[in-house]
Amino acid sequence: MSKLIRAMVFGLLGASIALPALAEDLTFWNWRPEDTAAYQKFFADFHAQNPDINIKFQGYEPSSYATVLSTALSGGQGPDLMMVRAYGAFEAMAAPGYLMDLTGKVPALENFPKTAVAAETLRSDGKVYAVPYASQTIFVMYNKDVFDKFGLSEPKTWDELLADAKTLKDNGIIPFANGTATAWQNETLTFGLGSSIMGKGFYDDFMAGKATFEDPRFVEALKSLTEVKDYLPDGFTGLDYPSSQQLFTSGMAGMFVGGSFEIAGFQKAAPDMHIGVFAAPAKAAGDPALVSVFYDGGFAANAKTEHSAAAVKFLNWVASKEFGQEFANDLGNVSVVPGVEFKSPLLGEVASLNQQSIPYMMLVYFRYQEPSGSVLLQQQVQKMMAGETTPEEAAAEITKGIATYYKPFQK
Amino acid sequence: MTGWIDKRALWIAFLVAPAFLILLTFVVYPLVNALAYAFFDWQSTVRGDFVFLDNFRDILFKEPFATWTRQAFTHNVIVFVSLMVIQNGLGFLLAYALWRNLPGARFHRIAVFLPVVLSTIIVGFLWKLFMHPLFGLVNQTLRAVGLGMLAMPWLGDSKTALGALIVTNAWHWIGFPTLIFLAGMQRIPGEIMDAARMDRDNEWSIITRIVWPLIAPSATIVFILTFIGSFNWFELPYIMAGIDGSPFGNTDVLGLYFYRMAFGNQSAGTTDFGHGSALAVLTFLFIAVVATFWTIRLRRREIEI
Amino acid sequence: MSTVTAGPARREREWSWGTLTQDALLQIVLIGNSFIMLFPIVIMIFNGFKSTQQIFKEPFGIPDFTQIGNYATIATTTGFPRYMLNSFIVTGSSILLILVFGTMAAYAIARYRFRGSAIILLFFISGLTIPLKLAIIPLFLLMRDLHLLDNQLALICTYTAMGLPSTVFIMTGFIRTLPRDLEDAARMDGASEARIMWSVMLPLARPAMVIAGIQNLVPIWNDFFFPLVFIQTDHLKTLPQGLTSFMGEFTTNWGVLFAGLTLAAAPITLVYIALSRQFINGMTSGAVK
Repeated sequence: MSKLIRAMVFGLLGASIALPALAEDLTFWNWRPEDTAAYQKFFADFHAQNPDINIKFQGYEPSSYATVLSTALSGGQGPDLMMVRAYGAFEAMAAPGYLMDLTGKVPALENFPKTAVAAETLRSDGKVYAVPYASQTIFVMYNKDVFDKFGLSEPKTWDELLADAKTLKDNGIIPFANGTATAWQNETLTFGLGSSIMGKGFYDDFMAGKATFEDPRFVEALKSLTEVKDYLPDGFTGLDYPSSQQLFTSGMAGMFVGGSFEIAGFQKAAPDMHIGVFAAPAKAAGDPALVSVFYDGGFAANAKTEHSAAAVKFLNWVASKEFGQEFANDLGNVSVVPGVEFKSPLLGEVASLNQQSIPYMMLVYFRYQEPSGSVLLQQQVQKMMAGETTPEEAAAEITKGIATYYKPFQK
Repeated sequence: MTGWIDKRALWIAFLVAPAFLILLTFVVYPLVNALAYAFFDWQSTVRGDFVFLDNFRDILFKEPFATWTRQAFTHNVIVFVSLMVIQNGLGFLLAYALWRNLPGARFHRIAVFLPVVLSTIIVGFLWKLFMHPLFGLVNQTLRAVGLGMLAMPWLGDSKTALGALIVTNAWHWIGFPTLIFLAGMQRIPGEIMDAARMDRDNEWSIITRIVWPLIAPSATIVFILTFIGSFNWFELPYIMAGIDGSPFGNTDVLGLYFYRMAFGNQSAGTTDFGHGSALAVLTFLFIAVVATFWTIRLRRREIEI
Repeated sequence: MSTVTAGPARREREWSWGTLTQDALLQIVLIGNSFIMLFPIVIMIFNGFKSTQQIFKEPFGIPDFTQIGNYATIATTTGFPRYMLNSFIVTGSSILLILVFGTMAAYAIARYRFRGSAIILLFFISGLTIPLKLAIIPLFLLMRDLHLLDNQLALICTYTAMGLPSTVFIMTGFIRTLPRDLEDAARMDGASEARIMWSVMLPLARPAMVIAGIQNLVPIWNDFFFPLVFIQTDHLKTLPQGLTSFMGEFTTNWGVLFAGLTLAAAPITLVYIALSRQFINGMTSGAVK
């Protein structure tokens, strides 16, 4: 009731104030139709502070969003404000000049993590075109109740991880819920389990142009992946992504290798389950356990919007701590806005795991060109897990495909 | 008199124009453009420079695209040959059985055609659920009758995935060739059959020497439609195997590859209308040339007989 | 109906053990085939009345048909009714346009001699086997420029264009066979050309229109590809496309999934069973001429 009254008061106030000022209506697109309610709440808050600006939400399906958006923008249509992805998919929108250049317009970006801003920066002109909003972490999620029941704890070495898996299997619980039938699941599996085995050293050498994916450390990570085969569900090569989620949320499986973006969905599907997270450990005790991290995307404005002042106001607002906090609280995302505190202990734990990480490499570096590193890795790992190629061959194929356009790999 | 002709011409134009213009706008114009687009470099959905044959060269000869193109094409060929044997071969047998007009023929005719009216999406999802590695009907049946060792991830194993899709397709479409063959058989004049039976030919030689040649027009249609259908395969693999042709490209076909290239997939957000158009043009030319060539050959065979 | 009167000549055939064994074998083939065709559909319907646990435990069991919880879930929490309505709108409008424009063009080609009529017929016929899917990129950009993306008109235009060639083909063939006398008599009476077409000829062409309508009904009702590319907003989706979002949403609830599949299959299956003869003729008529 109070809401209604508040709305009425706002409405009256709005009407009396807005009459001379002429309210501006801006459209906003993203690929999260399931978050409609949350965004409408955010926009209402924004409207409360900026009574002359209304923002209208429209969500599209993730699989078609890139095409929908780029088609609309290239036809001179499209929204005033939008969410864009990061890295390669971001450049597909920024490079043709569809997005507003944010240089000097959003001062708060100065304090954002450098890697986050880089994810929304066009490499060719070095300019920022979007305000990054969240990072995602690839690691292992586990069912705490199941772990407690069998006296298991978060593993500190790779062997402990396998031992935990064996205990679960012996007790009739599927250790890992993951299947490999959905191609991209192979990429999360690789980095969710293998990042610590690849290690920071491999990543640094790769950045210095000294290591390819044929590097023994990367091959070792792939090999370790094949050791997990026994602990995946029966017929895992035919098990698709939704079935894997189902196995985990139903309690039939103890662990799920995947991204932090799963947590909200898992909690919704199984509200009573206690979820824990850990970084899959390295082989030797004492070597750092790493997770794999990437930035999800950012908020951007249409370069051709008729409401550029209002759009800039909005972008400054989403770069504020106030919004970052709301975003983290309501959507369970690890906001990249500096100073945000995570109320949910699980989210806090994810944020602290992020301190020891390597990037989610294929997405971060090799989705700018075809053949994308992700497609190559997914295919080869899927093949390897089916026992139809070896880790060495898979690594060689991935490297070869990327070498068609990536200079440091061309020998 | 001229006034009448003008009025008549106007009347004819009025009748023909709507259909003509719709076809011109939504079929001819896109087809011509598809060809033109293939010669340009595209930045996602924006047309860039004229690059002549570069896009064609890339998908045919540049690795790893060349391998992917070849792989998808090979799968289309396998699909076509298998469907010719399974779907059309069984279709012929069923048509022959229905032609006998045995008790219940009417029921069987309705039953065999029932899946044909269902959407590929429904059929694909239904069989995907049936072939689920853990809870699917197929594996559960095998386990129930003690053949658990035969239970396998049908859609996840590189040896069975494409076969599983082909069997599903045959289940879905078998009614179509069956009823076309049946219609052809029913056109065979009774006297010819009576004469053949008088000669005391055995049934097999009647089939091969009389029935088969006489239903040649139906066979031509079935072959051409199977050919075009096989090289346009998209919905069934899209639903059952996913857009990447899992596992590792073992169910990838030209339709999926084209869609992926043109509209991107989740892990490669790149939209590439140039290479996509080139692939579409090649596929189109291949279908058109082979289908025309075959139609002429088969029609000639019909006339000879 | 030629399909019903199969081989009266063969019934007079002399009876022998040979033909009897053959007939028995063929009958077994037919029964086996019908079982394979219908069993999956029966299981689909049965499982729509079960809970997920029941499906996993006893996949073949006969359910309690009063358990309509799955259907209630679908009716109350999904966009299913909306998808169904959209399919009706899109399919209905497309078939209406196809029949109207197709019959008009066919009538002109079949009843009047004019220069270029043969070429125009050829133009329509050459569209018969064109796989329009391969022209999706330019079609997509065309729809964008016409501001028809994410709009059901894009589907209706595409389907109409796809359905016209076969309809013009069927209708031209049929209208040509209609007798000239009636037309001439009407003309003598001073009826206008439009009047002759509307009140004299078209009523006679109705059977062919039914065939053409059914031939277009199944592929348009079932199409998935064009909505996949053209439509993004959930409440504009047609049934097959909506079904994919539905299947993605309820992946963990197999009972609801089977109920959804049953519901999606129901309309066309019921129409088919009621009109099976027309369906079979309609769908195979393009091929048998």
